[in-house]
Order: sequence, then C-alpha cells, then structure tokens
Amino acid sequence: MADVKIDKTLDVRGEVCPVPDVETRRALKSMKSGEVLEVLIDYPLSKERIPANVQKDGNEVIAIEDIGPSEWRILIRKK
Amino acid sequence: MEVLTGIITGIFFGIVLQRGRLCFNSAIRDLRLFRDNYLWKAVMLAIALETIAFHFMASAGWIHLNPKPFMPLGNIIGGLIFGFGMVLAGGCASGVTYRVGEGMTTAWMAAVFYGLFATASKKGFLKPIVKFLQGPVYRVNANSSTYKSGEIGPTLATIFHVSPWIPALIVTALLLWYVFGTKTSQRSGKGFNWYTTAILATLVAMFGYWTRSTFSEKPYGLGITGGWASIFSTLTGSHLNWEGAEVLGIIIGAFISAMAAKEFKLRMPRKASTYLQVLIGGIFLGLGASIAGGCNIGHFFTGVPQLALSSILAAVFFVLGNWMMTYWLYGRR
Repeated sequence: MADVKIDKTLDVRGEVCPVPDVETRRALKSMKSGEVLEVLIDYPLSKERIPANVQKDGNEVIAIEDIGPSEWRILIRKK
Repeated sequence: MEVLTGIITGIFFGIVLQRGRLCFNSAIRDLRLFRDNYLWKAVMLAIALETIAFHFMASAGWIHLNPKPFMPLGNIIGGLIFGFGMVLAGGCASGVTYRVGEGMTTAWMAAVFYGLFATASKKGFLKPIVKFLQGPVYRVNANSSTYKSGEIGPTLATIFHVSPWIPALIVTALLLWYVFGTKTSQRSGKGFNWYTTAILATLVAMFGYWTRSTFSEKPYGLGITGGWASIFSTLTGSHLNWEGAEVLGIIIGAFISAMAAKEFKLRMPRKASTYLQVLIGGIFLGLGASIAGGCNIGHFFTGVPQLALSSILAAVFFVLGNWMMTYWLYGRR
C-alpha cells in the first residue's frame, strides 16, 4: 500500500522523547502544501502522539505501517 | 516478603507504565509544547483517585499516611533541577525506568547516572551538599490517626487543623472537575487510554502502599529514586529493600509488556552527543530528586495524594523546571 510520492524522509529512529515529534513538526513547516512527509520511527509513544498532533494542525495522516520490530513508517500529507 | 511484594508491585507498575506510556516528563511537557493534555489527564485522574483511596485505606486502619517533611528551599531547588533533568534525560524517574525495559539505550545511560548520583546524595560524598541545599526542615505533630504517629511533614489538613478528609474531598472534587470538565486530546494506538491508565495506576499504588507498609520498615507507597539507590547500594553489601525490588519489577514488567506488544527494540540514537545529554539529565534527576526529597513518583504520585505541602511544592517546581528546559531545548524554532 501507500503508493504515493514521497517528498521528504525523516529518520528519527533511536531519538529520545520528544525529538521525533519536534523534528516532524519542523519538517512539515518547511514543506509545501500537498507534499508528503515520510517519518521513520521506533518509539511507541511518538507513534501515537505524532498522528494525533499533526492532524490537529489540519494535516492528513495517509498511513501508519509496521516496517520491522517496533519500527513504523508514518506518511503525512501537508495541509 | 519485602523483596517479593516489591517485585510484584513493580511488575504490575511496569506494565501499566509501558502500556499507558505514563511518563510525567511527556505529560508535563506536552501541555505546553503540543497543547496536548492526554497524559496529563491520566496523571490528574490518578491523583484524584489515589487521594480518596489513600485516605480511605488510612481511615480503615490498613495503612498510615506518611507525608514527607516540608523543606521549602530543597523542594524548590531540587524540584527545578529534577524538572530540568527529566527533559534532558528524555524521561522522568518512572519514564526512564520503564524505558530501560523497552530497550532504550539512552534510558540505560540516564538510569545508571540517576542511580549513582541518588546513591551518592543519600549516602556518599554529595550528602553534605544535598543537606545544605535542602535548607530548613519542618515537621509537625500528627493531628489524626490517619497519619503515622509522631512527627510528620505538614499537610493541608495539619495547616488548617481540620480532618484530613476535608481537604482530600475538596482537592479530589477540583481535580475531577478539571479532568471531566475540560476537553481531552485524542490519541489512538496500542496503549491503554488515559482513564484506564489512571485507574490501573491507582490500583497499583494502593497495593504498593499496603505491601510496603506491611512488609518493610517504611510506611510509604511507590517511589523510584530510593529504589535505584538501593540497587546500587547492594554493590557495597546493603540488602535490597522494597523500593529497590519495585524498580527491578518495573523493568521486568515493562520488558514483558513491550515484548508482548512487539514494542521491544534496542534503540540507539545516531548522534553520540545524545548520550552525553541524557547522562547529564540522569545526574540532574539523581541530584534533584535527592535535594527535593523525592521524584515524580515519590512526591508527585504518592505524596500529592496525601496532600503533603512538600510534595505539592516540589510538584509545582517539577512542572516549572520542565517547562523552562523544554523551552530552551525545543521551544525556539
């Protein structure tokens, strides 16, 4: 699934709380409307918090996929 | 029995912390950084439930409340240092401890330095400095049989010379009004939702308070800092106490829970400098908790429900310290 064009990838695996969330927000800020951000993450709390927070800002969460043991990929389309 | 009940309590606590993602660092910081109150609501509901539960258990004679002595200077200075520490370490006392069991190598680093500095503050070379920074210590005579006999730290009830139930009911009502009267942030995923986390954490806190009071020398509930100090003290021949066993239990519980949910992984940051940051954070956690007389579990989670002045003051400065360090590290874009 997720047959979308990815404009930017953010690999925040291994980072401490809340670096993944903060970096995601910064990355989205630098992107244009409609572009897709791919976030690679391995921290359970952020996996749940990032989708909730980016949606609050109006962005669309396209997919959250398992890509390995406790590793996920979140695809976000900027508002 | 002391070690066994400590481990059992810890295992349950570890599962609740891991499933509930119950990190006070996140709870406090998310309020400001992301305008997100999800975990904060869990903490506030748990404190409301614990307040009623502890006072009920004490009234029934099963436990005695044992509010920590009031050390205004220490509660403030230590509270701030601990607040800085949790942001640098990427977790509070409970957050760092449960993430050790999740396989987070930065948490291992933070926990070791947290434990070493807590031990050095309690029994080692830092003890005189910690005592100095704590400033004057205030105790009062217990005014109710819900408290342990003799001198205790002042509480809202001892200041106003009223039954402990009166401030307990008022504080609980205010907390419940906040928890259910305001909007809660949304979140979905494998974790427990916020009120499930709060209810389960309260049950663990009740079980912990009762077993620790019954089977160890100290009438108190959950804690973390003394537990890490106990673990490191076994290296010099001391025996493992209830709190030390509880900390080991948390790590075991979080490990089991993370494995079961396929959330265990050895996580390593790419920048080596992150290890230095969490190392300093760990030192701050150990020093801050020792100066303040407790960490976010001993003070915030176990002391605030007893309405101890020391715990309330320390909790306020945990929050302020956290917000200041969050702003310096992440706030400026």
